[in-house]
Amino acid sequence: MNAVPVIEVDSIVTRFGAQTVHDGVSFSVPRGQIAAIIGGSGSGKTVLVREIIGLLRPAAGRVRVLGTDVWNAPEEELSALRRRFGMLFQDGALFSSLTVAQNVATPLIEHADVPPHLLGPLVRLRIALAGLPVEAATKMPSELSGGMRKRAAVARALALEPEVLFLDEPTSGLDPITARAFDRLLRFLCDDLGLTILVVTHDLDTLLSIVDRAIVLANGGVIADGPVKEVMRVDDPWLQSYFRVRTMLEGKENNRGT
Amino acid sequence: MSASARYCWLERAGGQATLFLSGVWHLPRIADIDAALAGAGMPASPLTVDGAALSTLDTAAALALLRRIAGAGASIERLAHFNVSHVRVIEAVLERLGDTAIEPPRRRHGVLAVLGMHVLEFRGLMKGHLDFFGRSAAALGDIALRPRALRLKELAAQFQHICIEAIPVVILVTFLIGVVLAYLFGLQAEKYGANIFVVDGVAIGMSRELSPIIVAVIVAGRSGAAFTAQLGTMLLTEEIDAIRTLGLSPMQVLVIPRFLALVIALPLLVFVGDVSGLAGAMTVANPLLDITPTTFIERVRSELSVDHIIVGLMKAAAFAAFIAIIGCRMGMTVSRDSRSIGINTTSTVVQCIVSVILLDALFAILFQELGY
Repeated sequence: MNAVPVIEVDSIVTRFGAQTVHDGVSFSVPRGQIAAIIGGSGSGKTVLVREIIGLLRPAAGRVRVLGTDVWNAPEEELSALRRRFGMLFQDGALFSSLTVAQNVATPLIEHADVPPHLLGPLVRLRIALAGLPVEAATKMPSELSGGMRKRAAVARALALEPEVLFLDEPTSGLDPITARAFDRLLRFLCDDLGLTILVVTHDLDTLLSIVDRAIVLANGGVIADGPVKEVMRVDDPWLQSYFRVRTMLEGKENNRGT
Repeated sequence: MSASARYCWLERAGGQATLFLSGVWHLPRIADIDAALAGAGMPASPLTVDGAALSTLDTAAALALLRRIAGAGASIERLAHFNVSHVRVIEAVLERLGDTAIEPPRRRHGVLAVLGMHVLEFRGLMKGHLDFFGRSAAALGDIALRPRALRLKELAAQFQHICIEAIPVVILVTFLIGVVLAYLFGLQAEKYGANIFVVDGVAIGMSRELSPIIVAVIVAGRSGAAFTAQLGTMLLTEEIDAIRTLGLSPMQVLVIPRFLALVIALPLLVFVGDVSGLAGAMTVANPLLDITPTTFIERVRSELSVDHIIVGLMKAAAFAAFIAIIGCRMGMTVSRDSRSIGINTTSTVVQCIVSVILLDALFAILFQELGY
C-alpha cells in the first residue's frame, strides 16, 4: 500500500546567481509520516519546500508529489495536484480582507462542489479541527494573535482535505505552550486524519516530540536522513552543536535536581 | 440501481435499521453523497452504520453523514465493520459536531447606525488631521530653531521624486489643457472678431485657476498616494517603531522632509504648468486664430499681470501643505494589515482632491473680497 512515496525529491540543484544552494538533494517521504527538514540558516530549507510545491523551479532534478512530476506535468494535472496538498506559509499568509471563515471557505467555493447548507458547518469543522474556537470565525486576520493566525492558516490549508501538508516554520514566533499545542495538532492530523506532513523547523522540541524522521540539509546536500534518535548520533559539527544546546540545558537541570 | 444507492442504503431487520455505506466518500463527491444521504430515508431512531464497503472516508463526508443523521433525529448506535482509520475520522468529526452547528453571530448594522458610525469616523478623521497639522507645525518650529535638524538628504530625495520626476506629465497635461482652452475660447471669440482676447482668457485662466488645480490634482495622485503607501508600509514593517526606539522623531525624519519638499515643489510645478499651458495655447493660436507667436507673447506681456501668477503660486503652496499633511497622516494611521494600506491610499487621493477644490473655492472668495 505504501509502495509509492508521497514526496520524492531526486537530485535537486538550486542556484542563485553564482551561489549554489542545493547540489544534489534527494530524499523521499512515505505516506503517513511527519518528516522534518532541518538545517542552518541559509541552507535552503524554505527554498526546497517552494521547489517541491511548484513555486520555484530548481536548476536541475526532479520532484514528484503524490506521483505527479511537479516540474514536467501538464497544467491540468498540476492544478489537480494542488488540490491534494496544503501549504502553511511562515506568516500564515491569510487574505487580510477576508474573515477567518471566508478565508477557509475560499478554496471550498473555488474548487469543491459543496451544497450550500453544508458549507458553513464544513468551514466551522475546519476551524475546529485546527483548534480554533468558533468565535474566531468572524474575526479578521488582523484581530488574531500569532498562534491563532497560524491555526487559521492551517484551517485554510485543510479546507480541501489534502493528503499532504507542507509547513514552513510553524512554531517560530510562538510561545512554548502554544508551540507544543501546535505540535499536538500536527500529530493529530497525521495519526487521526492520515495526513503526510513535511515541516521545515528550527524547533528542537518539535523535532524531539512529534517528528518521525529528520532530513538534515547542509553544504548543499542531505547529510543525515532518518529517525531523530539516529540523526542525533551523526558525526557532523553543525548537527552536534545543534543538539548540544539541548543536552546542555537538560544537563544543567539534572545538576540542579541533585 | 439509482445513483444514490451507490453511496448508501438503508436496510431494516427486526426493527433494527442499518445504514450501509459504500464507495469513495470524499470532498469532490460531497454533493452526491449529501443527496444520497437525504434520499436514504433516515429513521428517527438509533441505527447501526456499516462501513464494510467503504473505501475512503474524509472529514467532509463524515460531517455530511453525521449532520444528516442528527438532522433526522436519529443517532448512531453502533459502527460496524469500519476500518480503524475511518473510525478515527468519524470520532474526530463527532467531537467537534457541536462547534459546527453554532452559527456565529453576524455583525450587521442598520442604515442609521452605519450613517452614525461614518459621521463619528469623519469627526475623528478631522480631529486627527488637525492634531497632526499641529504636531507638524511644532516640528517645523523646531527646525526653525535648530536648522541642522533638517534632513537635507531626505528633502532632496523627496524633491527629486515629487518635482523633477513629475515635470514631463505636468508639461503634457497642461500643454493639452492650453490647447483645448484656446480652441474652445477661439470658437466663441471668432464670432465677435475678438480673437486677441483668447490670449487674455487663457493666460489669466491658466495661471490663476487651471494650472494650480490641475497640477495639484496630479501631485495628489502621484505624491500624496505615494506618501501614504510608503509610510503605511513602513508602519506595517515596524520601521517607524524602529525610528522611534532609536530616539529619532518620525516627524523630523519622515514627515517634515516630505512636507517641505512638496510645499517647495508644487509652486514650481505650477509655474511649469503656466508656461506649458501658454505654449499649448500659442501653438493653436497661430493656425486657428491668426495670432502669431510674437503677437501672442506681446499680448501676454501687456495683459497678464504678475499678480495672477503670484495668486496661483500662493494657492499652490497651500494645496501642497494640505496634500502633504493628508498623505503623511493617512500613511501613519494604517491598521495592521495590507488591505488598510489600499483603503488609506484611496482615501488620501479623494481627500486631497476634495480639499484642493474646497480650498480653491475659499481662495476665490477671499481674493475677491481682498480685491486681488
